[in-house]
Amino acid sequence: MDEYDQMYGIEDEFEQQFADELEVMAEIDYEPPRQTKVSEFRNQKPLSFEDAIASGDLILRKHGAVGLPGSSASQQNTVPKPASPLPAAQNGSELPEYLLDSDALHSPKSKRPRQDVAKKLQFGLSDGGHDITPPSSPEDYSRSASNSVQAVPASTLDMSGLGELQTSPRRSYAAAAHVLRRPPASGDYISVTDSSGNRVYLAKKEESTMSAADSRALRNSHYSLGLLSVPIEVLMEQVAEKRHRQVVEESQRLSEMLNSHIDQEFGELDGGEPEEDQEDEDQNGTASRLWVDRFSPRHYTELLSDDFTNRCLLKWLKLWDTVVFGREKTAKKPKPPPPDNKLSFQQKDQQNSRFKTKTQITEEILEAELDQYQRPKYKVALLSGPPGLGKTTLAHIIARHAGYNVVEMNASDDRSAELFQKRIDTATQMKSVLGANEKPNCLVIDEIDGAPTAAINVLLANLNRKESREADSETAGIAALKKKKKKTQSVLLRPIICICNDLYVPALRQLRQQAFILTFPPTQPSRLVQRLAEISRCQDMKVDTGALMALCEKTDNDIRSCINTLQFLHGRGQRQLDQRLVQSMTIGQKDQNKGLFSVWQEIFQLPRVKRKRVGEDLFTGMDHGVQANTTAHRLQHILLLVSSSGEHEKLAQGLYDNFLSMKLKDPSLRGVCLALEWLGFSDILGETMMHGQNFSLMRYLPFLPAAFHLLFAATSIPRISYPNSQYEALTRTQHTKNVLVAMLAEIHPSIRSRVGVLCLSLDILGLLLEVICPKLRPVNPQLYSTREKQQLVELVDTMLSYNLTYRQDRSPEGQYMYLLEPNVEVAARFPGLPPRRQLTYQAKQMIAREIEMERMRRAEALLQARNPRRKEEEKEKNPVPHSGSLKPAARNHQQRLENIVKQTVVEIRPEVDFFGRTVVPKEKPVSTAAPGEEGPVSVELRMGKAVGNSEVWFRFNEGVSNAVRRNVYIKDLL
Amino acid sequence: MSLWVDKYRPTSLGKLDYHKEQANQLKNLVQCGDFPHLLVYGPSGAGKKTRIMCLLRELYGPGVEKLRIEHQSITAPSKKKIEINSIASNYHLEVNASDAGNSDRVVIQELIKTVAQSQQIQWSSKRNRGDAGVSVDTVVLLTEVDRLTKDAQHALRRTMEKYMSTCRLILCCNSTSKVIGPIRSRCLAVRVPLPSTEEVCSVLNSVCRKEGLLLPGELAKRIAEKSGRNLRKALLMCEACRVQQYPFSAEQDIPDTDWEVYLKETANAIVSQQSPQRLLEVRARLYELLTHCIPPEIIIKGLVAELLSNCDGHLKAEVAQAAAHYEHRLQLGNKAIYHLEAFVAKFMAVYKKFMEDGLDAMMF
Repeated sequence: MDEYDQMYGIEDEFEQQFADELEVMAEIDYEPPRQTKVSEFRNQKPLSFEDAIASGDLILRKHGAVGLPGSSASQQNTVPKPASPLPAAQNGSELPEYLLDSDALHSPKSKRPRQDVAKKLQFGLSDGGHDITPPSSPEDYSRSASNSVQAVPASTLDMSGLGELQTSPRRSYAAAAHVLRRPPASGDYISVTDSSGNRVYLAKKEESTMSAADSRALRNSHYSLGLLSVPIEVLMEQVAEKRHRQVVEESQRLSEMLNSHIDQEFGELDGGEPEEDQEDEDQNGTASRLWVDRFSPRHYTELLSDDFTNRCLLKWLKLWDTVVFGREKTAKKPKPPPPDNKLSFQQKDQQNSRFKTKTQITEEILEAELDQYQRPKYKVALLSGPPGLGKTTLAHIIARHAGYNVVEMNASDDRSAELFQKRIDTATQMKSVLGANEKPNCLVIDEIDGAPTAAINVLLANLNRKESREADSETAGIAALKKKKKKTQSVLLRPIICICNDLYVPALRQLRQQAFILTFPPTQPSRLVQRLAEISRCQDMKVDTGALMALCEKTDNDIRSCINTLQFLHGRGQRQLDQRLVQSMTIGQKDQNKGLFSVWQEIFQLPRVKRKRVGEDLFTGMDHGVQANTTAHRLQHILLLVSSSGEHEKLAQGLYDNFLSMKLKDPSLRGVCLALEWLGFSDILGETMMHGQNFSLMRYLPFLPAAFHLLFAATSIPRISYPNSQYEALTRTQHTKNVLVAMLAEIHPSIRSRVGVLCLSLDILGLLLEVICPKLRPVNPQLYSTREKQQLVELVDTMLSYNLTYRQDRSPEGQYMYLLEPNVEVAARFPGLPPRRQLTYQAKQMIAREIEMERMRRAEALLQARNPRRKEEEKEKNPVPHSGSLKPAARNHQQRLENIVKQTVVEIRPEVDFFGRTVVPKEKPVSTAAPGEEGPVSVELRMGKAVGNSEVWFRFNEGVSNAVRRNVYIKDLL
Repeated sequence: MSLWVDKYRPTSLGKLDYHKEQANQLKNLVQCGDFPHLLVYGPSGAGKKTRIMCLLRELYGPGVEKLRIEHQSITAPSKKKIEINSIASNYHLEVNASDAGNSDRVVIQELIKTVAQSQQIQWSSKRNRGDAGVSVDTVVLLTEVDRLTKDAQHALRRTMEKYMSTCRLILCCNSTSKVIGPIRSRCLAVRVPLPSTEEVCSVLNSVCRKEGLLLPGELAKRIAEKSGRNLRKALLMCEACRVQQYPFSAEQDIPDTDWEVYLKETANAIVSQQSPQRLLEVRARLYELLTHCIPPEIIIKGLVAELLSNCDGHLKAEVAQAAAHYEHRLQLGNKAIYHLEAFVAKFMAVYKKFMEDGLDAMMF
């Protein structure tokens, strides 16, 4: 075989002569005998059957790789022969010379392929106008079914969708898809007539898919050129072994699937299998990969995460099947869901029925109704949980499991809003047409909690906006003209899975409401230990369960961390692992970033004697004979804990708020005093730090919790409440201050200069509230005696000068009451004291009214004081009563008349020239002696004169009547 | 202006009711039309501000009483905007820089500088008009100087010297102990002590006479004592009494401010029981006081006064020392509640031990 490798490519003639024999050999060696020629061929004539040839070669080669020459060689020997005669029959004239040469060899067997073709024709017809695009997930199903029957699984042959060929002579199937009895409705075709006179039509296929297949064949064939680092025999052995294991696994899985009622997927189960097998080969070749990747789960059943979570996510993803795979179903047709399905009818029907029942079941369970586009209610799944639980793995596996092609986005990608939009569009709206990825996409957005809010908004917009747009366009009937496919594409029709660590990042708030949220529970240590044991067995490490348990505890059941630690130890040459080693290790310990509550709890709780604290060895070395509960250890532990948590301020507050509620044992209060000393010290420390920017003092802050631990730690579980007393006090102080400042803001400056916030709260306010509550008779203020009236006036005056009034307010019970405005009562009154005397509702109402009136009066007075003209009028008015009582007040029109008269008086002031001499109008009287002499100006003048003399006066006001207009001041009304 | 406090406030140095000698000295001080920087200090309600305003009136005439409120906004170097209200007349400017909190330094630096510099420009024109022989152009009145941060006080030092030619500062505070030495040495310190009980009584009497009321001497004395000789408080109390009940009777209730009652109850609670639970209750009460804008120094002072009345002998000294200790730490620190509670806990421990010792001594 190896010799042949070397000879290959040099000896063309030899090859031509012994083409047939070579083929047989090639089957065994999985060598593509005419690889170069095939490509040549393609260049000449891109016809569909060439694809068949190429793929036929592929199959042969693959089967060679399977390495079962003994059992299958005889069967396969028959196969290559038809491979060449079919083209010969189809277009002999154009065949390359080598085929012509070997024609004699092939001709005796040329009948057989044709029969195959004829046999396949039925199927081809039934498939109708389908083109040859490889099927998505359902195709896997049939193959795995055949796997279960056959001893030799052919799952590696997935490349160009030729899995079915197992049962029948290969090659013919691919051709059959294109062999038609009638000319196809669309596309090019070639007619072929066989010896019996049957005419068939061969549909032409585009080059692109073909070339993809060919190039694959080409690439694979290169391995044969000795480019593999590992000898081929070794590889083959390994593959055989693997294959065997897989068969066993697969059968197990199948039975499991059937039991768990998720029987629909077992076809898709192996969706990614072929690639994985290749990966496995690669893995064996390169031993330097991380174990985390090497031993990461490949199948649903291998997942370590919580079963319920897995199942929920899977069910949710399955909800999408209706829209992603089953467009026809939405139209209530009993047609098979995937359009690219290559299954036979019965299979399809089966699948269809399963589809339905499963959808129903999941619908019931998830209680999600499909919306108008047959999508689930929640369009996004949001997985959350601490790192190392397998969230990303789960998402990938489940998506693949459900027949999707996973498109991942994570923090390593740029996630600005527009890029995000672009990528979402690419992932959800498009579909790759090349290679093996021809499945619908499923977008996995990893580490979404780090994404900017803008990007998440884009995602949300994608979920929502498009619906409305779609709806709009539908109502408008614009899009109705377009193709249905176009229409549906504008809506999000692919599932999106988001993964985050922290569910409560502010940016995710919106998304949380619209997402199907799955929170990961911690991994079960038992399962993790089991898996770790398997891995270490694989790698020849000797471990005991106790050691693994310790490791799990140390890493807080973080799968990734566990495996990495194992690999690290393995890499160091450690082949044996025991508990002692694990505990003394300084690696594998997670940075203990615990929540505040757990820190508080640790501070107030003595460590249990049994429990050995992981990480204590950091300080104490290896001696485990010493009990881990000595004071020094506890102190060190708390110091470490607190300094890694870092939130000293909050921590100190929590301690302060809670320490008095602990069960304190000292009756002399010495401990309490000490604790408060410590608090005072840390306060001064903090103040110095902040004020002097001297942060080197920060290292002393963790000693406060340590001191509290030594003072107050007890064996019982402490009940810790969140410290909000200081925050509450702060907000309330701020509120009080605001009230006082609001009160001060409007106080008259002469008083303002005497009162500050401090003296207001200390001296004035309490007494002022007393002063403004005089005893008032509950009668109408009109009935008050002069003294009472005086009192009322003073009260109003006081309240006004201190900027107080009453405001009507409605209590939550619906009662109306008058409150001080600004409500300084909150600043002056303390709870638990006997209530002060309050005014009645009526009195307050009356006072409020009086205050309003007084305020208006003052404003009026101020206005008048500011306006000097009015002052003059006042003055004018004042002498009038003295002079004579004829005119109590100048009437409205008379005032105006006076103005007009005044105007005219001004008008007739003689003109003065530059030097102050009067200018005598010279020509004016002469030239304008005509009737129009007086002009518009002198009309006014004349009017003034006339009006001044008469009592009656009328002015036409262009339709606006101001006959009863009169200036009325507020003070006249009050 | 109908509160008696405001209504009957004297406006000229001659009309002041007490410390007449000091009033005379002040009058002489400004007679020549100039005066040094002043540091007026004394307890609250003694009449510091009244005296200062009288002084200014003596200097500038009744124009100083035409006050207006100005809203100033100052931009700190850190681009932070500080809003501060000042009260101004044509002749003086009154600022409470401690309103600005931690940024008071900026207020001091910017505000006084701008005032002093802008006044320099007006200076010549004013001179030309021949304003009565006053050589001081403007007076900046800084209130609550003791609440200024140290930074602000240091900022004040240089300003005081630099703009000496155009402006004078009058600093007003309760205690000089929190004013840094350099500032004290630059000022003429004027202490305004509280009026004596008799003086308070006479003021109350004169006010009541003006109001046309008859105030029994007994009640006046009681008011004076209850108010702690704080004249403002005394007048307010008197007016509250008047509102409560007129014709006055010698034994009538004198209304008190709520916070003092509350503080007294707190002290009683401390004395009656010493346990962590009680401490927790006391903490809630202390928080309540703090949220009502009662300064922690005053709380601790009131507490000590109440608690000491329950102690005897050497316990008094011990408690007073503890109070001093915690009051000092209170000044250094930021979170008053820790230190207040620490004092309370300390008192509880000391008091409990004392009581138990006493009990033991009785037993044997």
